[in-house]
Amino acid sequence: MIASVTEDIEMSKPSDLVQGTLDMLLLKILALEPMNGFAVSQRLKQVSGDVLQVSDGSLYPALHKLEQEGWMTAEWKTSENGRRAKYYSLTRLGRRQLEKEADNWGRLSSAISRVIKLKEA
Amino acid sequence: MRPEHWLYTIPLRLRSLFRWAQADQELDDELRDHLDLKTEQYVAQGMTQEEAHRRARLDLGGIEQTKEKCRDARGVNLVENFFQDLRYGLRMLRQNPGFTAAAVLAIALGVGINVGIFSVLNGAALRLLPIPRAEQVVSIDQILHGRVKRNAHNGSSMFSYSEYLDYRDHNHVFSGLLAYEPFVEATLGGGKMKELTGTLATCNYFDVLGEHPGQGRGFLESDCAAPGGNAVVVISDDLWRGTFASHASLVGKRIILNRTAYTVVGIAPPGFKGTEPIPSSFWAPITMQKALDPWSDRMADDNLSWLAVLGRVQPGVTMEQVRADLGVIAGRIDLLHPGRTTSLAIRTATFFNRQMEREILTPVVSVILAAFGLVLLVACANVANLLLARASVRQKEIALRLSIGASRWRLVRQLLTESLLLSLIGGTLGSLLAFWSFEAITRLIISHLPHQVSTLAVNVAPDFRVLGYALGLTFLTGIGFGLIPALQSSRQDLNTSLKEDGAHSGPGKRSGRFLRNALVGTQVAVCMILLLAAGLLLRGLYHAQTVDPGFEMKGVATMFLNLGQQGYDDTRGTAFMGRLRQRISELPGVIEVAQAECAPLSHDFSADAFTVPGRVEKIGIEYNHVSPEYFSVVGVPIVRGRGFLPGETHDSPGVVVTESTARRLWPDEDALAKTLRESRGREYSVIGVARDAQVAHLGDVHTTYLYFPAGTQDNLRVYVLVRYAGDFPATARGIRNVVQSLDADLPVDVTKLEDYLEVWRQPSRIVAALSGALGALALLLASIGVYGVVSYSVSRRVHEIGVRMALGADGGEIMNLVLRQAMRPVLVGGFVGVAGCAAVSWVLSSMLFGLSAHDPMAFVIVPLLLLILALVASYLPARRATRVDPMVALRYE
Repeated sequence: MIASVTEDIEMSKPSDLVQGTLDMLLLKILALEPMNGFAVSQRLKQVSGDVLQVSDGSLYPALHKLEQEGWMTAEWKTSENGRRAKYYSLTRLGRRQLEKEADNWGRLSSAISRVIKLKEA
Repeated sequence: MRPEHWLYTIPLRLRSLFRWAQADQELDDELRDHLDLKTEQYVAQGMTQEEAHRRARLDLGGIEQTKEKCRDARGVNLVENFFQDLRYGLRMLRQNPGFTAAAVLAIALGVGINVGIFSVLNGAALRLLPIPRAEQVVSIDQILHGRVKRNAHNGSSMFSYSEYLDYRDHNHVFSGLLAYEPFVEATLGGGKMKELTGTLATCNYFDVLGEHPGQGRGFLESDCAAPGGNAVVVISDDLWRGTFASHASLVGKRIILNRTAYTVVGIAPPGFKGTEPIPSSFWAPITMQKALDPWSDRMADDNLSWLAVLGRVQPGVTMEQVRADLGVIAGRIDLLHPGRTTSLAIRTATFFNRQMEREILTPVVSVILAAFGLVLLVACANVANLLLARASVRQKEIALRLSIGASRWRLVRQLLTESLLLSLIGGTLGSLLAFWSFEAITRLIISHLPHQVSTLAVNVAPDFRVLGYALGLTFLTGIGFGLIPALQSSRQDLNTSLKEDGAHSGPGKRSGRFLRNALVGTQVAVCMILLLAAGLLLRGLYHAQTVDPGFEMKGVATMFLNLGQQGYDDTRGTAFMGRLRQRISELPGVIEVAQAECAPLSHDFSADAFTVPGRVEKIGIEYNHVSPEYFSVVGVPIVRGRGFLPGETHDSPGVVVTESTARRLWPDEDALAKTLRESRGREYSVIGVARDAQVAHLGDVHTTYLYFPAGTQDNLRVYVLVRYAGDFPATARGIRNVVQSLDADLPVDVTKLEDYLEVWRQPSRIVAALSGALGALALLLASIGVYGVVSYSVSRRVHEIGVRMALGADGGEIMNLVLRQAMRPVLVGGFVGVAGCAAVSWVLSSMLFGLSAHDPMAFVIVPLLLLILALVASYLPARRATRVDPMVALRYE
């Protein structure tokens, strides 16, 4: 029983994510439209084709951190099915931050892929 | 960060800070919402409701942990935790009133005395002058380098009048530059005979300082127009209220200072006592210098250091500009004196400005602060020990917190909050006590100082510097005694401490005990140093009380006359002294009358560099000009040759040297008829050898010393020594009457020669009292520390002792065991303290009157005393150990 819990936790660790990229992904997803935490996790899974899995336990602290940084705001809204939920949306600052991080990421990933594509002698 | 960024985040942080309950509720709602949605999703995938809910929770990785992470992400946890820790800490302190009281008391004592002494030092040396816009006023000191022949009156870094004028007239940075001669002595005449200390000042003095007399006026430019031209004076408020009983129309009246009548033109504002640590009673124009002291004409001497200089900097001018501007003037003056380079020391003016004063003050202050700091260290060690002991009681609680997920740093933070809370309470209490009591204590100490400094212009009231010091000290204390116990008790093996009930094993058993012992050792070492210092000084005092100075102090009355200052010239002085000595010797009970330039141990010294013809070596020798009767009056026998004859004067070629001087100059030879050359080239020959006596420095037998015969020049500044039989009051009265009958305006103060000893003993008496009080305080704290640690270790080991007794150990063996373990850190600490004190005790040697700085008596008695006290402090709890009932102890589980 105890062992299986440990496994679960390890499986859902965002170990595939480069440090700091989670922030960028969240910013990007929320740039499309305001949504609540659950929707963010679904969207992330869906868009990345299940490759990028972020555990729920990491998602919320990350969202709160982004809110704290002033990159997104949150408000309580009533959803279609009538329940109150906390909706996150990007601020102006957040958009700027996203541009910056996407830029960085573009440079970084193209550099890495250039290295990887080197022909072996 | 950009301001707009703050625009977003600040309200958020504030909200989470002040409405953390609501923010927390929202967090709760958000996560619950998530769980519901996730559960629905799993149910839709075909799980049972129960299974789906469980999976959803697992995905979230523990709701509480996630919440905690969210709070951390918000960055408010720090603040929230702090308030939580604070509440918790307060509760802990309330629940352990005994512990709290002991700790708070120790800290209050430690911090209190430190804050108190700092406020005194702050008042003396750091505070700006109590004048309007004092931050604009700077003091200027000149330090001369190179081969310079310079005369000094008061201090070598002071200015001559012509130098002052140069700076005053050629600077571009001051709105005013003043100069004054401090500590001018004058006798107030006219039926109110009193010795006063005053100031000779340039006539812009009050204007530059921005102090305007409460009554009348300050000085006008015309007051300083011509030397001796304008006999006006401003007197202090204290003098007006005291001596003149607040006489309503004193302004415009005349008072007598050193036989000259001065018109009182103003009375200084209340609270203005000049700019020196010793308050000034009067201010006269600098042009009256020669009238107050006809002996010397200081205004005319371009090579005499006698004036202190203060300037008020023009608004907007920086210190660098001041330095640069004055540096140019200094350079120009240097050109007139080949070989001399001047560097200027310019600083915002306080009560202690002169380079020399600061050089003396700094080490003294450091030693005092260190001594007081040591007591705080002992107090900290005590509280740390209490905390360590208590931490092991709380071990189970701490283990529980660690096991349910608190991080170590979180715990350390909480424990530190508690100790900071303790130190804050103790520090506040101590500081309040210090502010409240030190003014009174300072006044008490000052009133015990030698009479010439009976009042000091020191303001010990707290200012921002003192408050800052108190706060800083309090925080340092809190961290100082809290950090080690906090680190120690948060590091533990969860398994063992949760399994056992945590009562029997100390926290990290070995290291915990080691720490406690180390703390006790430190306390004992510090205590030992302070007590040894006090012990040495007390021994020194006793030594000074009983030491044989080599001359007879008893039965000699002495009196100092400054006839020169009172306007006498050589002829009148000689006539006066002749009549005076004749009349005194006719008094009943008077055996013999002598006169000397310096009375024994009177703190009057003269010295010169002498050479022996044919040798290159220069020898510094102190000297005295004495009348022939001197040797028999003070009981210094001539052991070879002869003393002086009545007709001998300055022109006579004979001198009398002391035995050790003779030995030093002509070892293994007869000193009689040998030649000695003084620095100006005149030669003398030795006519007699006097026995060694500590006439110049108490406790120093080996001073090189010689006697010249007194001449008529010596009559203007003279000590009269009278050997009498019978009682002192009658003799003193007789002498006073004689002086009064010859010159009614001459101030007379007849004292016993022995009284001069008191002045020598005073500094060591004060330091001994201080280190004794500090040592006693440290001793009290250390005894409590030893007692606490031993009784703690006994109470922790009841079980073990029970087992030992059940196995046959008797009370004596148990006592032996406990005492042995208790005394080990005491012995180690004691040894370190003795070694430490032996290494630094030489700094006291000037106050020990010839006693060795490693005096065996002090070094045996003090450690013994401390050892006995430590034994008693550990014996009391150890006795409890021997009374352990094995049955009860074993059933204790």
